[in-house]
Amino acid sequence: MIPEVNQLIKECDQLGYIVEEELATVLLLMLRIQKPLLLEGPPGVGKTEAAHIIASHLDTELIRLQCYEGLDVSTSIYEWNYQKQLLSIKINENERMSATEKEQHIFGDEFLLSRPLLKSITAKDKAPVLLIDEVDRADEEFEAFLLELLSDFQISIPELGTIKAVHRPVVILTSNRTRELSDALKRRCLYHWITYPQFDKELRIVHKKYPDLSGDVAQQLVAFVEYLRGMNLQKSPGIAETLDWANSMMALHANEFSKEYIDKTLGCILKSETDMRNIKSMKTESILEEIKS
Amino acid sequence: MALFHFSNYSTFEEAMIGFTAYCREHDLRVGLSHSQEALIAAQQGFSTDKQTLKYTLKSLFCTCEEEHTTFEKCFETYWGKRKHDYAHKIEKQAQSNITKKASASLVMMGFNPNKKENEQEEEEAKNVTGASKIESLKKTDFSKIAAIDNEILERLAEQLLKQLNHRLKRKLEATKKGKIDIRKTIRNNLSYGDALINLARKSRKLEKYRLILLLDVSGSMDKYSFFLLKFIWSLKTNLKNIEAFVFSTHLIRITDYLHQHELDETLWQLSHNANNWSSGTRIGACFKQFNDDYAKRILNGKSITIVLSDGLDNGEPEELSQELHKIKMRTSKLVWLNPLKGMKGYEPLAKGMKAAMPELDRFESAHNLESLLELENILSHV
Repeated sequence: MIPEVNQLIKECDQLGYIVEEELATVLLLMLRIQKPLLLEGPPGVGKTEAAHIIASHLDTELIRLQCYEGLDVSTSIYEWNYQKQLLSIKINENERMSATEKEQHIFGDEFLLSRPLLKSITAKDKAPVLLIDEVDRADEEFEAFLLELLSDFQISIPELGTIKAVHRPVVILTSNRTRELSDALKRRCLYHWITYPQFDKELRIVHKKYPDLSGDVAQQLVAFVEYLRGMNLQKSPGIAETLDWANSMMALHANEFSKEYIDKTLGCILKSETDMRNIKSMKTESILEEIKS
Repeated sequence: MALFHFSNYSTFEEAMIGFTAYCREHDLRVGLSHSQEALIAAQQGFSTDKQTLKYTLKSLFCTCEEEHTTFEKCFETYWGKRKHDYAHKIEKQAQSNITKKASASLVMMGFNPNKKENEQEEEEAKNVTGASKIESLKKTDFSKIAAIDNEILERLAEQLLKQLNHRLKRKLEATKKGKIDIRKTIRNNLSYGDALINLARKSRKLEKYRLILLLDVSGSMDKYSFFLLKFIWSLKTNLKNIEAFVFSTHLIRITDYLHQHELDETLWQLSHNANNWSSGTRIGACFKQFNDDYAKRILNGKSITIVLSDGLDNGEPEELSQELHKIKMRTSKLVWLNPLKGMKGYEPLAKGMKAAMPELDRFESAHNLESLLELENILSHV
């Protein structure tokens, strides 16, 4: 391990994010060679969180773009403020302005609404962190669109020309792999696969977030979740679910990880009716005994 | 093999370029830019430690999780101690793949050495050669067509499929008027001053359905599987959002091989990678594999799943119906196309087919082109 990586791990730890050596190396690499990073993995393993941590580590703004099907230029990059433009034309109707002047006026900066992508490259003081979340949900067209941004860090707006990045943003893309991303996009990114954490790591995460939870309970809870992950469920619980569950223990002042408690709060961790039925029919006490041994 | 080791190079730069070449040889998609970036990273101090170098190169060279194992093998062989066993293993594996391919490709091209073509069938096929017989070709059962007619049939399939896609699009476009597009409206009305007279509208975006095709390539489907594969391939060229799988005793995803521009290229790649052709059938187990590995990320509310199979199954019917149910819960429509349904007096009595029936939205025949064109109706009524 090189010393910088070690330092990054420690700093993230202080910020409340436990990071493995591999991810830390990749994050450092991303910052050093200024290449976007694509994080893939099942839902709820801390992909988005990684971007938040990098932003607070660099002490800079986080700009987030949530992708969805049908995401287009006007919601992701820029849009003209049409109402304001129309009003402005009306107001300036009687002033003696030439057509070119008028045009320059209404296509000026004050009429431009910047959306996340444009915002990220026009940030003035410091390079922001740009999080493009769940990029697999956007259309392929949008992906093609990202290519220009990710390779040259510039955006072309027909009325204004090409806008180049003042500071290169740190770009993190996340994907749940609901579809394969194009090779062109992947080629422009570093790639890292995040998977469910090992027992020790997850336990450390729970301790970090909820230090008041007693050690025994936390251990059993994490072991139970790990057992569930091995069961080939329709939807395996992620770290987010584990934390939810730990949180609900605190909220309900439960001081014992018992069968009654599990049966009541199984909804924190299982998000499918069939899964719930399967687990309940398996008898929670037998699972509990198994993990205790 | 000994050539592929860092100790053969005098400088680190050369060794890195050698490693890139080595990875490329093992089917990792790495190019010049990758070795450049690797060197930049190395200059930044990422090469002082072997583990760090590994993580660094891994994030640079891999584009999906599946490539990790290949990469790790390559890395260990190349940067590890000399004469590693891995090199030997990779070599061996590559060889064994080649021997499998030859026979599979023969079968796929329609020449199954284990089966003699019935003479009477060839006779029938010759009768339907020629452009004027296109109408009758449409209705010819795939199983009765000899290799000579392939070309005509393919052309016809392509033509019909293009038509299918076209009509599909028009239907979707005409149904609804979209929102007003302010940007366009202002542009269009510049000449009227500030009065907006002609409203421009955004046309509704085409709903993109995702088509998931599961093709049975077991022995009993031999007569049909080549044509159905061709059908899938033509669909791929016309519709973008397709995922295709072939199954018999196990399931193989073939979507990536369909991207080729030439069918022959696709077939060649398939014969290299799909080694489950013409074996037995365990539909339930294959669907289970599908559900475990792919369903979560492929199926959604906008997906249509089409199973192309004759339903003759050696596996457990309970498992089949259970797994089909899971698929049905995740997809918006589940269609089963069965080539045997075209036969006179066919009833879905085979135990596999019987178990599957209650879960299906549609059960159609798939023994000739016309029946495949029925798909259009299925697709447009979702």
